[in-house]
Amino acid sequence: MVKYADEQLDAVFGALADRTRRHILDSLSGGGRAVSELAAPHDMSLPGVMKHLRVLEDAGLVARTKEGRVVSCELSAEPMKAAAGWVSRYEKFWSEQLDSLARYLYQQEELQRWNPLESKPGPSSSSSAATRSRRKNSGAPGPTRKR
Amino acid sequence: MGRERTVSLVRVFDAPRSRVFDAWTRAEHLARWFSPKGFTVPACEADARPGGVFRLCMRSPDGREYWMRGAFSEVVVPERLVIAAAADDERGIERIQTVITVTFAAQGGKTKLTLRATAGGDGAEAGAMLDGMEQGWTETIGRLAAHLAN
Repeated sequence: MVKYADEQLDAVFGALADRTRRHILDSLSGGGRAVSELAAPHDMSLPGVMKHLRVLEDAGLVARTKEGRVVSCELSAEPMKAAAGWVSRYEKFWSEQLDSLARYLYQQEELQRWNPLESKPGPSSSSSAATRSRRKNSGAPGPTRKR
Repeated sequence: MGRERTVSLVRVFDAPRSRVFDAWTRAEHLARWFSPKGFTVPACEADARPGGVFRLCMRSPDGREYWMRGAFSEVVVPERLVIAAAADDERGIERIQTVITVTFAAQGGKTKLTLRATAGGDGAEAGAMLDGMEQGWTETIGRLAAHLAN
């Protein structure tokens, strides 16, 4: 399950607030790299790169793997997607709701043409209802977080 | 009260204002549109008076149920609604408190609807979720995430 934590977001933005680390992430966008490869373009010592990689790892942005004696890094973009995900999903939820309202109003309009009986006014009355089935549409789930 | 963030949307509907307002305030209408594509609404209650109940269940295609439970806090016929509700996850655990402000403006025979959905929560998890709602950050993160995912 993807966890949204203050601490995680702090760590992500802290990690991104350094141009060397951003460059490292950029280098990894083409795929995993050995740690030694990452050091070269920055004319940095291995310990120097390792320090940056630790920050990126703590933020969950990269993952270290070891094959034999070679330590490599690769991206794990989940934390950033998670941060962007929530609001876009909430916005998507409401956007879909309003799409649904538009379709409903259009349907009502069509029905009205064939059956011109006015629906009863009066929003002061309580009402309850249920629907059993809807038009078959595929669609994304609503305002929940993916696990 | 924890931090709050807002999602805003504006739409013009090709329908008279009273009908659009009714669609938001009467359960028999809400049940027919207030859910994402593919979902059904097995239960809906709406009493569009200040303090009146607003309660609705959205059932996903695979049978999971998501409840929104709350009340109308403001009702100005036919121009403004404010609904304060809690949204539960599929286990029935309350996740987010949300305030939805909907205004309806007549434009000839059409209706301009403005929706502002503000979500807030006190829990660290909700707060952290809301951290991601800052529009500017969201766009930047989105671009970066998309770039890094390729």
